[in-house]
Amino acid sequence: MIDFLQAVGDGIFIGLVYALLGLCIVIIFKASETFNFAIGEFLVFGAFLFYVLFFDLGFPIVVAFPVGLAAAAAVGGIIEWFSIRPLLGRSPLSMTMVTLGLAMVMRAVIQFIWGSHSYSFFLELPDITVEKGEFLFISDPIWAGMLSIVTFIVILLFLFRTRWGLAIRAVSEDQAKAMAFGINARFILLIIWAISAACIAVAGIMISNFGALSVTSVSVGLRSIPVVLIGGMDSIIGALVAGIIVGVTESLAGAYIEPLGLVGFKEVAPYFMMLIVLFIRPYGLFGTVRIERV
Amino acid sequence: MLSINNLRVVYHDVISVLNGISLEVKEGEILVIIGANGAGKTTLLRTIAGMIHFYNGDIIDGDIKMGDVSIKGLDSSDIMKRYSLTYVMEDRPIFEYLTIEENLKAASYSRWDNKVKDDIEMVLDYFPGLKRTFNRRAGYASGGEQQMLAIGMALMTKPRMLLLDEPSLGLAPLITRELFQIIQKLNRSGITVVLVEQNAFAALNIGNRGYVVEMGRVVLDGEGQELLKNEDVREFYLGAGETTRKSFKDAKRYKRRKRWL
Ligand SMILES: Nc1ncnc2c1ncn2[C@@H]1O[C@H](COP(=O)(O)OP(=O)(O)OP(=O)(O)O)[C@@H](O)[C@H]1O
Ligand SMILES: [Mg+2]
Repeated sequence: MIDFLQAVGDGIFIGLVYALLGLCIVIIFKASETFNFAIGEFLVFGAFLFYVLFFDLGFPIVVAFPVGLAAAAAVGGIIEWFSIRPLLGRSPLSMTMVTLGLAMVMRAVIQFIWGSHSYSFFLELPDITVEKGEFLFISDPIWAGMLSIVTFIVILLFLFRTRWGLAIRAVSEDQAKAMAFGINARFILLIIWAISAACIAVAGIMISNFGALSVTSVSVGLRSIPVVLIGGMDSIIGALVAGIIVGVTESLAGAYIEPLGLVGFKEVAPYFMMLIVLFIRPYGLFGTVRIERV
Repeated sequence: MLSINNLRVVYHDVISVLNGISLEVKEGEILVIIGANGAGKTTLLRTIAGMIHFYNGDIIDGDIKMGDVSIKGLDSSDIMKRYSLTYVMEDRPIFEYLTIEENLKAASYSRWDNKVKDDIEMVLDYFPGLKRTFNRRAGYASGGEQQMLAIGMALMTKPRMLLLDEPSLGLAPLITRELFQIIQKLNRSGITVVLVEQNAFAALNIGNRGYVVEMGRVVLDGEGQELLKNEDVREFYLGAGETTRKSFKDAKRYKRRKRWL
C-alpha cells in the first residue's frame, strides 16, 4: 500500500508537468484546430534558451527565468508569423502538416547550435524533499509539479479574467465571427502561439532539471499525445485530469509492471490507457462531441 | 459614402461569384439588397468588410471606395477601425460558448476604452430582452435573442455603417417586425445600413433604396416603394405576381434576358 501511494504521488507531480504540455496543445487546437507536432522541439528549444541565459551567461534565476520565457514566447510568435499565419483560413490539416515540417527544421537548428550531446542541468532550487514515515518525495519533481500547476493557473486566469483572454476564447470559437467583430484573429493566433511556446518552455526547464538537457529530450513532447487524446483535444480541464492520469499510469507501470520483466513498459503504458479511454469515449473524457458536416 | 465599381470576385481562383457588380451606398440611408439564393449577396458583404481572403476568395477586378479612397485589399480590422464599418454575418454570428455579457465585451475588443460599460447599457436599452439572459451562455438564447445580440455586438464596435446579412433568417414574423423597427431606429440615430434580405417585402418597406442582384450583378435598382410596385420584383421575390403565373420556361428565359441588363 505504501508503495502504491508513493507511486501515485510521484505520478501526480510529473503528471502536472504533462498537464501543462497538454494545455499548450489544447489552446492552439481550440483556436485553430491544429495539432502542434513540434511541441517536443519547442520544449528543448525553450529549455536551451534558458540554459544560455542561466548557465552560459550566468544571470540569476529571477532574471534568467522570465527573460528565457519571454525569449521562448518571441520565438513562438516569430515561428507562427512565418509558418502558420500564411495558412490562416486554409484547412487545419495543412497547418498540422506544417508543424511536422517545423519539428524537423527546429530539431536541425537545435543540433546545429547546440550539438547532440547532453548538457548537465541543475537549478539548485531550495530542497523541499518531503520525507514522512516511509514516504519519500524528492524535491525536483515537487518543484516541477508546483511550477507547472502555477503556470497552468496563470494561463487560466489570463484566459478567463482578462480582455485578451476573452478575445482568445472568441477566436477559438469562430475565427470568422471574431474577425467580423473587429478582433484581429491573426494577432490573437500569434499571441496564442507565443503563450504556448512560453508554457512549453516552463515544462522543458522543469523536465531538464531532472537530469540533463539534450536534443533527445524532444521525445518528451510525445507525452502530450496521450494527454490530449485522453482528456479531449479541446478541453482545458481535460488536459489537467489527463495529465495526472498519464503521470500516474506511467509511475504505476514503472513500479508494478516493469519489475515483471517488461522493461520499457513505462513508456507505452500511457498509450494503452489512451486506447482504453478512446474505446469508451472517442472524443476523450472531456472532449466536445461534434457533428461534422461535410 | 461607399461605392462599388464593376467588382469581380472569384473563390478558389475559379468559382466566379461576383461578375462586375456596381452599386452605391449613400450616407444615412437604408439600402436593401435582395436576390435569390446563391446570387452572391453574402460574398458582396464579405468583400466590402475585407474578409473575402479568409474564405479563399479574391478580388480580380473593380474597386471598392469609401468616399474617394479605395479600401480594396484592406484587412477587416483596418476597415472597421478606419471607416467604422461593421459586418454582421448571416446566421446569427454570436459566440455560443460565451455569455451574453462576454459576447458584448468581446465585440468591444477593437476599441479598448473604458466606455464599454456605458455602451453595454445602451445596447440593453435597444434590446431589453437580453437583460434576462445576460449571464447565460448565448448558445441557449432563442433565435430572436441571438439575432438581437448579434446586432448589439455590432453596436459595441461603434459603427457608422452596418452591413446586415439576412437578419430575419429563421425568425417569427412578429420578431422580424420588432427587429426591423430597431434597425430603423438605429438608422435614425445616424447609422447607414446595408440590409441583405430574403424577406423582401418587409425590407423594402423600411428601405430607402434597393438593388436586385442576380448572378453576381445588379439587374434592377430603385426606390424602395418603387421596387415594391415593380411587377418583376413582385413576381420573383414577393411571390405575388398580378398576372397569372408564367410557366417555368418563361421565367427562365426572362431571367436570362435580365442578366444581360
Ligand atoms: N468559400 C466559398 N468557396 C467557394 N464557393 C463559395 C464560397 N462561399 C460561397 N460560395 C459560392 O458562391 C455563390 C454565392 O454565394 P453567396 O453566399 O454569396 O450567396 P447569397 O446570395 O448570400 O445566397 P443566400 O441567399 O443563400 O445566402 C454560391 O454558389 C456559393 O456556393
Ligand atoms: Mg447569403
